[in-house]
Amino acid sequence: MTVFDLLIEYIREGRIHLDTSRFKDRRATYHDPCNYGRQAQRRFGHGFFEEPRWILSQCMDHWQDLYPARMNQICCGGGGGTLNTGYNEERIFYARRKFDQIKTSGADMLVVPCHSCHGQFNAVKKDYGMENLEIKYLWELVADCLVVG
Amino acid sequence: MVLEYSPMETQSIIALNTLEHGRCRPWPFLQDFCLTCGICAGACPASGVDGFDPRKLVRMISLGMEDETVSERWPWICTMCGKCANLCPMEIDIPGLVRKIRSRRRREEVPGILHKGLEAALETGNNLRLPKDDYVFILEEIAAEPGFEGFTVPIDKTGARILTTIHNKLVNTHTEDLKHWWKIFHAAGEDWTVPSENWEGTNWGYFTGDDAAIRKFWKNSVL
Repeated sequence: MTVFDLLIEYIREGRIHLDTSRFKDRRATYHDPCNYGRQAQRRFGHGFFEEPRWILSQCMDHWQDLYPARMNQICCGGGGGTLNTGYNEERIFYARRKFDQIKTSGADMLVVPCHSCHGQFNAVKKDYGMENLEIKYLWELVADCLVVG
Repeated sequence: MVLEYSPMETQSIIALNTLEHGRCRPWPFLQDFCLTCGICAGACPASGVDGFDPRKLVRMISLGMEDETVSERWPWICTMCGKCANLCPMEIDIPGLVRKIRSRRRREEVPGILHKGLEAALETGNNLRLPKDDYVFILEEIAAEPGFEGFTVPIDKTGARILTTIHNKLVNTHTEDLKHWWKIFHAAGEDWTVPSENWEGTNWGYFTGDDAAIRKFWKNSVL
């Protein structure tokens, strides 16, 4: 079972309730991590593209997809262990196409379901003049939108 | 309608069916079928670094230059994102090739902290060599913060429905990020647990191409 399936199960079965107005004034977008999307599709025949998008839509009424996305997504540059090789300048250079994409979307919040992507975006956003871009785990978004009590 | 083949076409079909692909046996990533089109190089965000790109790497393997690729930095700058392979008209598994090249590095020459962290995980159950007492203290300290009244971290609970692991940065530099799943589990009334030992969820053997270490790592954590 994946984190996507677990979150979907909680929402569908009514075990958690979400307030979609919590971030109604924000412009959010979603980044497909290579290994949950394209690589999972290539290796195992199922890419997790729709599941995280469905979860995002339970948390906010409006959000904007990046282009291109899904199988043609652009990698953030933080995967495959590159956060821990010490080749940092190269890793920043790698992210330039991703940041072009994010800037074009006009988003001020980027939702990701991957620890490597999350680390990379936070580490290099300043290099691309986007220090105000909020990087949010998908499960952090869900936790923030929880209606408690 | 019956298809008819010319003698030349028949000859090619026989040749294709008896082709040995000898070099694809130790390196089974179809590198010898590269058409040299360069789509991979155009798609790759790491093209140009060190004068490398995926096409050059594939050609080097096809030409028998494995050792030369192993000593290059580039296979460690590539993230194995798979954009190249997704577009390759010959379905060459370039990320698989990169990972195989990484696996050929002498372990003490693996860049950065990747192999050191993996060794630490195999010896101590986590990439940081964080002692059990410190780890448990951190979890309990975070759970005692405001907003977590009536919540305790269910460490080593037997018979729980869900066993979780932890990314080492969440008990190191990013402890705030432990809370998101805790809030969700608490709200959902989930029956879950987290182990006091072998709790590491980040297996760097995937990155270093070390399949034996991957198996040992998960065997430690699951059993």
